[in-house]
Amino acid sequence: MTATRAMTALLLAGALSLASASGALAQKQSPPPVGPPKDFRLPAIRELTLPNGMAVTLVPFGRVPKVAVTLAVQAGRINERADQVSLSDLTAALMEEGTRTRSAAALADEVAGMGGSLDVDAGSELTTIGGEVLAEHAAGMVRLVADVARNPLLPSSELARIKADQLRALSIEKSQPQPIAQDRFRSVLYGDHPYGRVFPSERTVQGFTIDQVRTFHAANFGARRAHLYVAGVFDAAATEAAIREAFGSWAPGRPSVRPVPKPRMTRSLTLIDRPGAVQSTIMLGLPVPDPVEPDYVALQVTDGLLGGAFGSRITTNIRERKGYSYSPFSSVTNFYRQSYWAEQADVTTSETGNSLKEIFGEIERLRSEAPPQAELHGIERNLAGIFAVQNSSRLGVIGQLQFVDVQGLPDSYLTEYVKRVLAITPEQVRAMAQRHLRPDRMTIVVVGDRKTVAHQVAPYVRAPGGI
Amino acid sequence: MVRPAPYPSLALALAGLAAAAAPSPGQQAPPPGFTVPVDYYKLPNGLKVVLSRDTTAPTAVVAVYYNIGFRNEPRDRTGFAHLFEHLMFQGSRNLGKFEFVKLVEQNGGLLNGSTRFDFTNYYQVIPSNAVNTILWAEADRMRGLAIDTSNLNNQRDVVKNEVRVNVLNQPYGSFPWIDLPMRANTNWYNAHNFYGDLADLDAATLDDAASFFRTYYAPNNAALVVTGDFDPAEVRGWIQQYFGPVPPAPQPPRPDLREPKQTTEKRFSQVDSLAPRPAIGLAYHVPDRYTPAWYAFGLLDQILGQGRDSRFYDEVVRKRGLASEVNAGINYGLGSMYDYDGPMLWEVTAFYDNDKPADSLIAAFAAAIEPLRTRPVASAVLARAVTKLRSSLYSEMEQFSGFGRANLLASFALFDDDPGRINRLESEFAKITPQVVLETARTYLAPSNRTILTVVPAGPGATRAANGGRP
Repeated sequence: MTATRAMTALLLAGALSLASASGALAQKQSPPPVGPPKDFRLPAIRELTLPNGMAVTLVPFGRVPKVAVTLAVQAGRINERADQVSLSDLTAALMEEGTRTRSAAALADEVAGMGGSLDVDAGSELTTIGGEVLAEHAAGMVRLVADVARNPLLPSSELARIKADQLRALSIEKSQPQPIAQDRFRSVLYGDHPYGRVFPSERTVQGFTIDQVRTFHAANFGARRAHLYVAGVFDAAATEAAIREAFGSWAPGRPSVRPVPKPRMTRSLTLIDRPGAVQSTIMLGLPVPDPVEPDYVALQVTDGLLGGAFGSRITTNIRERKGYSYSPFSSVTNFYRQSYWAEQADVTTSETGNSLKEIFGEIERLRSEAPPQAELHGIERNLAGIFAVQNSSRLGVIGQLQFVDVQGLPDSYLTEYVKRVLAITPEQVRAMAQRHLRPDRMTIVVVGDRKTVAHQVAPYVRAPGGI
Repeated sequence: MVRPAPYPSLALALAGLAAAAAPSPGQQAPPPGFTVPVDYYKLPNGLKVVLSRDTTAPTAVVAVYYNIGFRNEPRDRTGFAHLFEHLMFQGSRNLGKFEFVKLVEQNGGLLNGSTRFDFTNYYQVIPSNAVNTILWAEADRMRGLAIDTSNLNNQRDVVKNEVRVNVLNQPYGSFPWIDLPMRANTNWYNAHNFYGDLADLDAATLDDAASFFRTYYAPNNAALVVTGDFDPAEVRGWIQQYFGPVPPAPQPPRPDLREPKQTTEKRFSQVDSLAPRPAIGLAYHVPDRYTPAWYAFGLLDQILGQGRDSRFYDEVVRKRGLASEVNAGINYGLGSMYDYDGPMLWEVTAFYDNDKPADSLIAAFAAAIEPLRTRPVASAVLARAVTKLRSSLYSEMEQFSGFGRANLLASFALFDDDPGRINRLESEFAKITPQVVLETARTYLAPSNRTILTVVPAGPGATRAANGGRP
């Protein structure tokens, strides 16, 4: 790590002097170069597996007297049938409504007395149960998390209220252009695979029964599908003892079945009418290699240079040069064995067509020309720095470890990441764009004022010289 | 769910990043919890400097705060303070347009700027070996800007798109963060649309920018904070070298921000044609900062509004099923109870259903509030509020890799000349008795001290009511 970072500093000095030499022969001063990098110390992690198969990761970290306790269970949208969209969310919400020995109010009071809260959230692959509390309550929080995971009451008395909450949240989300675009984009990409189902129908939510919730919990929650992370300041021995006691007798449960989607890889454009909208919400992209594939890290760098960083090409173009948009960005979104790249931008309605032109222009430019070395090194150093920052908080560390665990990556992924990022060459980036960011395979969704926008987006329905 | 109200800010919010803080050896033992190292001094030109060392991770935060917020912008230039924040990235003496951004990013950093009630801030979260470089860059733009008409026009377009994406093209876009202060306050400084009317943004000129910069971006109107893993002697040297030569500027008298005491409840309703469900917001004027009542109000906020053990949650969500959550806070959506300087509101909001009258929500809020105005709170409840507050204070300090700590240090330096206050907050809250809580609730949670705003979904054919229905 040290050698890698020393190299970073040298590269930086080169980049800066290059930049000032290419400026208008100016009297301008160059910024002082960065100093020698400090060692980045990964925290000492303790990992263990309980006899019932539950994985545990303990990360003593930092000095602020708080601790994060997160139980990640392999249960989420991926485990829902087509007629069960959002059942995992309903289950998560009902898990917050008390256990066999603690009412919802008693649970809330108890965790608040520890200086925290306990939340249950369902995602695509994982349901997480936990929160952050004051350091002296680590063992107590472990016991609460175990109780909620293992013994939720899932009370039928609260079902109607929670369903009403979910329907309200759904109706509000469906009134926002970005979620509307996201829902359609994923539906085009993944069809009837769980990854393609973002919004449930109102009828689906209304039809859920408490038996369905209890069956979902019984089928998907168990020790072998769970991983407990504790990070922060805590008493290691007392916490480990609490973990063994609270989780040791949890039944292993059934293994998770995670179908892998066959995403759509053909060009399409969907225009969703939002009459009178003063901006068009654009989401465009396509499936790309997932984290276990060899191109993944190079693709991260490519994404950063093209649209991921604030100083990236697309943002510099449509924000700083054209003023079409405020916060355009691109990113790679990861599921299990499946990822997609997408650029998202909310643009001035009258510039919708021009925005697509500039975005595709930047994609094509990168596909045909390797980026300048200095520009690429800037992005690589940016990713390396962000990685260090991400590893400098309790939840950041847990997030990184969880990513590696969910994706089934080797531990070396984290220790080698910075070195791999810094080794990517300009030609590799061009090749990534050429190979993986093919406009003729992209899904485009535009949410906007149809009467103003339809003719602007018409030229983009098919890729130029489309296949 | 509905996303939180956005800050008027340069760019992308930092993802939930935080860094742990270390107590520095050799400091005197703190009251409960832990102590933030505070090394505070001033340069001869008036720049306030706070250094807070923390070697937990090889990262640092550099933050520059200017004591000019959107409250104080010129009267016919609403939104100007925020537009100006964008101009600070458009070029300075030695850095061209957007080069500041690239300089930070190329050094592995994250950055942003934002405009709040009483300050405009610029901050970077960086690997600690880049502190020298970033201090130089911050000083460069404090020394002088190099902005031309095309940059101004470009950022005007960007800001208009910011207002569109955050307000005009969103349901509840201005609720509550723009709407409630406009309704609850009466002094123009506190009650104007600080994101800006698009027409006012169009009227802004380069001359406006130059004069705004000369007046408010002087070192004697600013605080510089560096936190993280650095060598204090080295950093002091760099600060003297880069910021020392920046000349001070005379400051105009501060405007009178005082709000007249509210004596009767105010109610408003506004139509939002993009909203599918109604929403309600309550705003109460809070006690003056650092009075016992202010500390007590912070605890009332914990008791009433924070977490699933709170009284609002119990009444509104759990018992009556009117909403899935209640959001509450002092300086809600734009900061916290620690980072403003002037009159402030405690805001309470909830989203509910079309078949429920607003009065059902108001009754539920009253059921939670009124017992606190009639008898002293149980000591166990007060103790839990203090615990929650202490824990939330630590979380606030850790926000964004330690940026949160820099935010508090800068605010206390800028407004109070007293960044060491960060280490006294816990003990001040711990002093509050049930009797003080009762008196505070009686006075400040009186219906006469509040404004209620409901957002009503439009029927078909209604027009969009942007900016709370104002022109």
